[in-house]
Amino acid sequence: MHESFLTHENKRYLWVALVLLVGSIAAYVWHDPIGRPNGGTWLGYTLGTIGALLIVWLLLFGMRKRTYANRVGSLRGWLSAHVYLGTVLLVIALLHSGFQFGWNLHTLAFVLMTVVIVSGFFGVFAYLRYPQLMTRNRENATRQTMLDEIAEIDGNALALADGIDPKLHQIVLRSIEKTRLGGGAFRLLTAHDNSELAIERAREMLEKRGRAETNAPKTEEMPTMFAMVDFLSKGVDDKASEALRKLIDLLSRKKSLATRVARDIQFQSLMEIWLYVHVPLSIGLLAALTGHVISVFFYW
Amino acid sequence: MRWLIRRVLKRGKGSVSYEDDTHYGDVLTIGRGSDQAIFVPDMRVALEHARITAVASGKYKVESLILAGIRVNNELTYATTVGPGAMVEIGTTRIQLLEPPVDYEAGAEISTIDKAEIAAGVKAKALPTSLSQTWLAKRTPSWVLFFAIALLFIVLPMLAHYSPGFRETLNATPVVPHQTAWQAGELASAHHFFGENCGACHEAAFKWVRDTSCGVCHGNTPAHADPVRFNLPELGEARCAHCHRDHNGQKGLIRDDQVLCDDCHKDLKTRSGGASALADVADFGTAHPEFNVNLPAWTPDGVFAPKRTVLAQGLEEQSGLKFPHDVHLDPEGLNTPDGVRRLECESCHVADAGGAIMKPVDFETMCQDCHRLDFDVREPNRQVPHGKVPEVIYMLDEFYARRALEGGYNDTTAPTVVQIRRRPGQILSQQEQVEALAWARSRARTIGESLFTGRACTTCHAVSPGRNPGEPWQIAPVRVAGIWYAKAHFTHAAHDTTVDTMTCESCHAARESKVATDLLIPGVENCRQCHGGESAKNLVPTTCIQCHKYHEHEALILSELQARAKAPAAAATPQTP
Repeated sequence: MHESFLTHENKRYLWVALVLLVGSIAAYVWHDPIGRPNGGTWLGYTLGTIGALLIVWLLLFGMRKRTYANRVGSLRGWLSAHVYLGTVLLVIALLHSGFQFGWNLHTLAFVLMTVVIVSGFFGVFAYLRYPQLMTRNRENATRQTMLDEIAEIDGNALALADGIDPKLHQIVLRSIEKTRLGGGAFRLLTAHDNSELAIERAREMLEKRGRAETNAPKTEEMPTMFAMVDFLSKGVDDKASEALRKLIDLLSRKKSLATRVARDIQFQSLMEIWLYVHVPLSIGLLAALTGHVISVFFYW
Repeated sequence: MRWLIRRVLKRGKGSVSYEDDTHYGDVLTIGRGSDQAIFVPDMRVALEHARITAVASGKYKVESLILAGIRVNNELTYATTVGPGAMVEIGTTRIQLLEPPVDYEAGAEISTIDKAEIAAGVKAKALPTSLSQTWLAKRTPSWVLFFAIALLFIVLPMLAHYSPGFRETLNATPVVPHQTAWQAGELASAHHFFGENCGACHEAAFKWVRDTSCGVCHGNTPAHADPVRFNLPELGEARCAHCHRDHNGQKGLIRDDQVLCDDCHKDLKTRSGGASALADVADFGTAHPEFNVNLPAWTPDGVFAPKRTVLAQGLEEQSGLKFPHDVHLDPEGLNTPDGVRRLECESCHVADAGGAIMKPVDFETMCQDCHRLDFDVREPNRQVPHGKVPEVIYMLDEFYARRALEGGYNDTTAPTVVQIRRRPGQILSQQEQVEALAWARSRARTIGESLFTGRACTTCHAVSPGRNPGEPWQIAPVRVAGIWYAKAHFTHAAHDTTVDTMTCESCHAARESKVATDLLIPGVENCRQCHGGESAKNLVPTTCIQCHKYHEHEALILSELQARAKAPAAAATPQTP
């Protein structure tokens, strides 16, 4: 049975985190500082030190995961601890601040830290959910084999379409030109393959010609594939309609493959996108934390 | 129009040969159909895919005839006008449009794109399929963010600390963070006016705020106790900032918690090695000693010198007055010249403007209506002044001298010259004057004696013979209203007696008091009806600071302490307690 980073070593780091959490809250409740609770009491300094060390250690995870030769604990153990201790950090920082916020460097550090942690929560969600979805979506294929199959289908579809009608050949050609897998960040995250767009345009053309040449029924609501069948089956012989059915099978298969590849890209992108927030902001946090510590002792 | 169609044929091993052909017409058609001017046998090409029209010498219009479009100069297009050198690509065929050769109006060179180039093209045109291939990045934003924060939030405020000029520039600059970005919390309201100048308190970097910084404004604040006399580390070593922690909100600077005081005062006698005579005290609800009150007392010279005395059962007050509260507060009312009148506490006891203590009782407005100071039945409206013995004597002397000299004083015991009415212009002989004035002096003395020792003054005051001839009588000094709790700041204003829940009698048992020596000042148990200790639940939580001050030394001020700290030799000679 695969062991998740959340259940690593019988949830060892969950327990460590819980002890830290309960200990911090208990100390905060018990502590009776001069004035209101803040970072400048002995408990404030203690929690602040724990928090700062945690932040530095959590940042080191970025280095640890790159050094494969490192033998200091397994990477899964590190990730498990990273997740649990990172979560507790949120509470420790809150208690450290005594729930005081303002328009200052200190709250900036807190906000950066919070965004980093929350983006990390999404990361945990993504790592738990998307690998399963990806496996299911790929159906034992890899992305490359799906792409190869699409290329093969494109060739076959062109040949088949050419045998039926030159106009159909054009539509298929257009569809191939317009099928776009990948693209900008937004496109990657929203699983667009554009095959629908191409079919949409083809349908428009079919409609226009249908109106001009025949009294074909309105096909606005009709899926493109059926529109094609509807239009082209008029006045074509049995052999052609056999080829047409084959073509439609091919195009459907292509559409499903393109959708799956787009989904695959989407899942992979979703698994990565949070890192583009998590990593830069955590480095920004390092600067803000440094400033926080310097400023606090500069004006002691 | 004549087109030069030049086909580039690759012969292998890099050798190339050309095959020229001439095409007549304005339009060059391209497609997979056999009727096309340029025949491209490629499945990805439509039968009639595109056409190129030579519009002018060296100008070509390229049009796609199908929706798939055509790639001109690597851009997918439907129709465009281009010049010589433009590349048109269809499938694996490349058509380069030429500057019209000699004898031709247009020209095109047709070649096949080789497999390596196609593969490279496919790779170059491939869209990103992972986020790392898009504009998104981690490294650059990380560095930008790191250095932006370091510059804006570390470097700028630090520079502002070392350069006042730069600080002013920075403060005047919008958007960028000021030095206040380092403020860990809002300053106390009193410190806001110099809030943008951190160095006002934080003089040196990486050092605690020094007391001398506080002393710039607060040097005249009284000290708490003399650390030389009371050898307590809490006194000698405490910094101002130990208690006064700024950046904790507008009101966060003043401590009012119990531990501020009771960490020393709960066992002060032991801690101070007997140097302190103060009673040990901790929680108001459970561990506060009985109050001390300032009982009125006077030195033999008549100077007011109150005696601080612990409140106790049977303790008497010597206010210098005779006054039964119960008689005056008779619920049936009092018979006064203006009819029956009911007196209330506030008829005589009125708070001063600040509301803390009561104003002195005013004889003229509060007592004289009933306790008249008239002295002569023939002139009942004339009264002697209150409170000034010599003036009473003068007034009586003058009053009777005038009556004697004017004559017509209707008193059979008086000499004839006093009783007889004068005629206009009548002048008394010298002997008559002597006789009349002798009567007047004697009369004034008799009346004075009766006022001071009989019917008027002694009603309320103790009267004794005077020490000099000008003042034959002496009135004992009086103190009715004043400060009773000298070391606490009780205020009547905070205890509204105009409501039903709290009346004067809730604290002062005046209605039952028969004599003025009854001390009507309440003790600690009276306060505890409403006030509890710091953590009281059903009572008003009350800490030391609500009644007492911390900085209340009568002689020593903070700047003196600081001066002593600078010159430790002076402090080395301990004063005798």
